[in-house]
Amino acid sequence: MGLNPEKLRKDFPILDTKVKGRPIIYMDSACQTLRPIQVINKINEYYNEYPVCGDRSQHKLGKRVDEEIAKARKIFRKFFNAKHSEEFIFTKNTTESINIIANALKFKPGDAVLCSDKEHNSNLLQWQIKKDIKHNIFEFGNIEDFKSKLTKNTRLVSVVHTSNMDGTSNPIKEMIKIAHDNESLVLIDGAQSAPHREINLKKLDADFFACSGHKMLGPSGTGLLFGKKEQLENLNPFLVGGGTVEESTYTTHHWEPLPNRIEPGLQNYAGIIGLGEAVHYLDKIRLKNIQKHEANLNKKATDALGDVVDLISKDQERAGIFSFNIKNLTPHNIAIMLDNSANIMIRSGAHCVHSWFNKHNMTGSARASFYFYNTEEEIDIFIEEIKKLRKHLT
Amino acid sequence: MICIIAFVVFAVMAIFSANYRPLAAEAFDCVFRKMTFRKCKTRLDERIKSKITGKLMGHTPKGAAFVFKRFEILSWIFVIVTIVSLAYSGYSTYNYIQYGNCYGPEVTGGFCIYNALEGEKFTELQKKIEGETILPDADDDPAIGLEDAKVTMIEFGCYSCPHTREAQQIVREVVSQYKDRIKFVFRDFPIEQIYGDAFLHAEAANCALEQDMFWEMHELIFTEQEVCGEEVHPEDHIEDAAKRIGLNMKEFKKCMKEHRYKEEIEKDFNDGLKAGVSGTPTFFINGRRIIGPKPIKAFQKIIDEELEKAGEI
Ligand SMILES: Cc1ncc(COP(=O)(O)O)c(C=O)c1O
Repeated sequence: MGLNPEKLRKDFPILDTKVKGRPIIYMDSACQTLRPIQVINKINEYYNEYPVCGDRSQHKLGKRVDEEIAKARKIFRKFFNAKHSEEFIFTKNTTESINIIANALKFKPGDAVLCSDKEHNSNLLQWQIKKDIKHNIFEFGNIEDFKSKLTKNTRLVSVVHTSNMDGTSNPIKEMIKIAHDNESLVLIDGAQSAPHREINLKKLDADFFACSGHKMLGPSGTGLLFGKKEQLENLNPFLVGGGTVEESTYTTHHWEPLPNRIEPGLQNYAGIIGLGEAVHYLDKIRLKNIQKHEANLNKKATDALGDVVDLISKDQERAGIFSFNIKNLTPHNIAIMLDNSANIMIRSGAHCVHSWFNKHNMTGSARASFYFYNTEEEIDIFIEEIKKLRKHLT
Repeated sequence: MICIIAFVVFAVMAIFSANYRPLAAEAFDCVFRKMTFRKCKTRLDERIKSKITGKLMGHTPKGAAFVFKRFEILSWIFVIVTIVSLAYSGYSTYNYIQYGNCYGPEVTGGFCIYNALEGEKFTELQKKIEGETILPDADDDPAIGLEDAKVTMIEFGCYSCPHTREAQQIVREVVSQYKDRIKFVFRDFPIEQIYGDAFLHAEAANCALEQDMFWEMHELIFTEQEVCGEEVHPEDHIEDAAKRIGLNMKEFKKCMKEHRYKEEIEKDFNDGLKAGVSGTPTFFINGRRIIGPKPIKAFQKIIDEELEKAGEI
């Protein structure tokens, strides 16, 4: 059974409202998705009904928070098909998740990290600034190059699953297998894959997996770090404090078990609970359906505009991402014009993948990113507006 | 280029609303540092250009293309227009401080309009007098002050016009301040179109002049302007006034009856028209015009300048 965007759109209050007198055409979901009413209500529920500490207080409201958090963790476990729910650490975004690994994983001097050449700054800078390890780069999607860059010193492969810049994906299942054969650990940046395709962590066998809640219907400033239990247990203490220890004296401490020991201080409870609701929502409509719907929309746009614009990638599979340039117009020109002419909201710039654009001597691209609530009619308007720009301004 | 206007516009708006402060700061940056094109940031001018183009694209793609392709030149034009209009605002502010209005000494709100071309009474101010304007002289009209003064202030006034009356207080002050250095001349500009008794009043003043009582009659008519016409018949009022200032009534009545000064008054009126007078009061200070009852500062400024020019200060 496919999905019915018209029906699902009713869950998104913002799609019912008008901005400057017309409905919005939101095509910036790779940055943040819109939020359904269920998630908004769930966040409100926390603040209205049990706005208190989790994991400490023995009173009824405190217990209610614990229950809701446990429920959310279970939802994540099921959604990602992980072994244990305590393998999910709450963070504020993908960026923080990757930073935790970069700082807490035990490296020894001479170790190397291997990344692709299409990493988001969130999976580049950590490695660039680390003094005692090598930062190697392979060509995105190129298994042979990947193999050739993998060495005995490669302690970690930290690689993006789906690129936010052009929507193409790395063959990560194969890469994980090869990396494991090489005794390297693997961290997947799943910011753009978790919201758009099924992730089966047991099958993938990734050691770490990072994603952002706000890119998958969740509250802003929420993220997840998945780590295999034994890997998380093996991390160095990095961010520490309240909630991470069972006990302490002036000179000693005793760590809490997972996941608490990696979640210092009071947490964004409303965010976590809201994210649980968001993931539950996604689970109900099934990621397979979402993936198919996005592919249809992207194909429609590509068929109509393939010759009109310069696509960043001509790859058949580009999830919901349509990243392009138009001759003589800057990406920002395009984005601002679409916003003003038809309320079409897209992103423009380097999408935090400056390194790749610099290597290819480009300033950036305009990027429309579709999600399950986008309709074919919206794609038609998008196509028409792009054609107008191309016809009249170039 | 657009940055300059943006800066000026946002800076002005920022004074009134904090919302515009970041934009003003950005425009400042854009003007003075020529922002580098960072990929995650758009230049302000590009943003404005795209925004305008985008908005137009929704209505007229051709218009959008026109703006997009000629944005630089259009923004130059805009900058020039902005600067010119700013200069005007500056000039108006200056006038406001100097003369109490935004336009300078020549214009006012309080003014009895003489409409030379249309029958309608209160249409727009018109100055379409045929031929060149000829600055008026003192002629042989009643004057106060120094006979051969270097500065002559001529007033074209109408006895029935409330604005002329309003100006008398200022005239009195000016005359008393400068009486030994300037010559003040009153010339008639009766606006009969509006005030039926205007001509009669002018004649009365002239007939009083014959008996050396011009200024007495002049003052009295203005002082009693409101009484006249409303409660008393104008002719009766004039006679009564003449009696009160002690004129030889027989002579006065004869003078009035003969309309002895009709031509004199008409000459004043025509000289006024030729000089471009379109209503009362209009003053000429050595040919420099002040229209309407202005704050005394406006008169002092021009008189002082003229005296200085003549080497009198
Ligand atoms: C591929 C990828 N990695 C990492 C990130 C960083 O995500 P966040 O800003 O939520 O930490 C993004 C966000 O755009 C992304 O697309």
